[in-house]
Amino acid sequence: MKPKERFLRRLKGQDVDKVPAGCTTAYGVVDLMKRCGCERPLADVDPACMAGLSMAGHTIAGFDWVKAMGWDITAVSEALGCTLGEPAIDSQYYIASHPFAQSIENLECPRDLLSRGRFPAYREQFRLLKEKVGNDLVIFGMSEGPFTCAANLVGTDRMMRATIKEPTFVEKALDVTAEALIQVIRFAFSNGADYFCMADPTSGGDLLSPKSWERIVSPVIRRIVNAVDGPIVLHICGNIDKIIPSMCETGIVGISLEEKTDLKAAIETARARGVRVFGNVAAASTLFMGTEEDCYREAMAALESGVDFLAPGCGIAPNSPLENVLQLRRARDDFHQDKQAGRPESS
Amino acid sequence: MLPLEEILKKLHDAVVGFDEAGAAQAARLLIEGGYDPLEGIMHGLSTGMDTVGALFKQQEYFVPEVLLCAEAMNAGMEVLRPHLQASSTRTLGTIILGTVQGDVHDIGKNIVKMMLEIGGFDVHDLGNNVPHKRFAEELARTDADLVGVSAMMTTTMMGMRSLIGMVKETKPHVGVLIGGAPVTREIAKMFNADGYADSAADVVGEAKRVMAAVKSA
Ligand code: B12
Repeated sequence: MKPKERFLRRLKGQDVDKVPAGCTTAYGVVDLMKRCGCERPLADVDPACMAGLSMAGHTIAGFDWVKAMGWDITAVSEALGCTLGEPAIDSQYYIASHPFAQSIENLECPRDLLSRGRFPAYREQFRLLKEKVGNDLVIFGMSEGPFTCAANLVGTDRMMRATIKEPTFVEKALDVTAEALIQVIRFAFSNGADYFCMADPTSGGDLLSPKSWERIVSPVIRRIVNAVDGPIVLHICGNIDKIIPSMCETGIVGISLEEKTDLKAAIETARARGVRVFGNVAAASTLFMGTEEDCYREAMAALESGVDFLAPGCGIAPNSPLENVLQLRRARDDFHQDKQAGRPESS
Repeated sequence: MLPLEEILKKLHDAVVGFDEAGAAQAARLLIEGGYDPLEGIMHGLSTGMDTVGALFKQQEYFVPEVLLCAEAMNAGMEVLRPHLQASSTRTLGTIILGTVQGDVHDIGKNIVKMMLEIGGFDVHDLGNNVPHKRFAEELARTDADLVGVSAMMTTTMMGMRSLIGMVKETKPHVGVLIGGAPVTREIAKMFNADGYADSAADVVGEAKRVMAAVKSA
């Protein structure tokens, strides 16, 4: 089974020979950049260099699918007006200013959104990637989600307070970010993305109450999902136990979660709603700080829990050792070997 | 005229219910009643924030609620502050606070800041993504007792170690508190920090403990 077929079948809930293993978040790993010669800062802005690092995820790190659209979650906020801090080889772009902290009167989704910031480079990156992978590998696009994007624009404190006291403010801000995301996701699909991952960390369980998530965030996700023509995966960090049911009701096809969330319970909840689960090898404590054995063990545990797609729980930290990252693929291969040796399956 | 107990309860409840107008009104009642404004701060507004801290820890309250409670508390403070005797506004100590270099996460740090201010500390907030040099300048410029550093990423957390080294080298009697999601008590010890708290609810207690410890050292 080719990796692309395996991935797409799994996404639809059909039988596959092996659990796809890869990464549905960023993999701007320094070791990987050095190995393939595609390093930051060019790997953030130059289409060929970006595509080179994308491909290294498959050829060197062993991922079953590859990522387009950069190694951070700031591009939409940037196009809407945030300024960014300088990246370094081991640190990604970050939000340096909240241009609408004072007032959102002038906040709007510009007509030329997709010619701003890094989007022109992404377009070219998609083309190069498509040329390289043909029909063999899945390509995904990724960006920040609507709530995180709005919080970037107006400041997180302001956004947080407004969720309780200023409903019209929140509505207006999310209206604009949803509109922008719809354009960005359509852009990704029309340039060759097979699925799109939105990361909405600022709406996570450590920040917003489950009630607020349901009331404020879920309608916006639903609106975006309905307006685009392709599968959406939603990634939220931290402990999201309590919002998984709401997340699964938005029309997304997959959720991506980290180790703070109860994986088994998540799989059960998601399955019942026809949603797949990506995760959940700990990005910080294991892939970055842990040993190879730790990584292998956690990957194996995720597979045994029945995860649909084996992946890191969050973006891989830049200084994570490549050997650690490789344990995902190794654990997946062993898992199926053991399974075949132990109890042969009819398929 | 309302009895003091009742006014204190109003102050407490206004903070917990994030009712800004209510907090200001209760504060005015306190002043009109001729009571000690310090009483209102210590046993009304602050105890309200203690309750808020506990609710946050129990995941009854989340970040938006906590930020709004702090606003209500500030509204009460604003009414009471002009009536305080100069002597009673003396602070417990001065703390320089910031998120470590390379890290823009500041929600947790902002909550810590609020708690410290409520607890009676004078807080010099340097913001987020603060270069070590800025901490050094602020240390040289002020007579701070403590430095508080927040880090939310494993990568940036590593920078805390050299920051603590720098503080200890230039001002050995300044206590350093660290915190943020990836930080643990073990890491704090390893980095040679004097204090650590995993939740804003415990920050003030820890700051007081560290101040006493470094003073007596
Ligand atoms: C919100 C958020 C963001 C927001 C930040 C907005 C803001 N203004 O702060 C945005 C979207 C901008 C963001 C950006 C990024 N983020 Co982020 N983000 C989060 C998230 C979801 C929540 C953090 C938070 O605010 N928690 C709530 C507060 C209240 O808790 P807290 O900070 O822990 O603080 C409490 C205690 O720790 C303690 N405390 C805190 N500080 C201190 C200090 C002292 C002195 C003491 C005593 C106590 C103390 O008291 C606080 C109150 O109780 C976390 C994941 C998670 N769920 O934790 C990821 C997370 C921190 N982010 C992460 C990453 C990778 C990033 C990005 C690199 C992604 C990207 N490329 O775009 C950038 C970083 C840019 C940079 N250079 O910093 C990772 C870090 C991984 C790691 N461990 O290394 C995390 C852990 C997600 C993950 N699982 O991978 N992020």
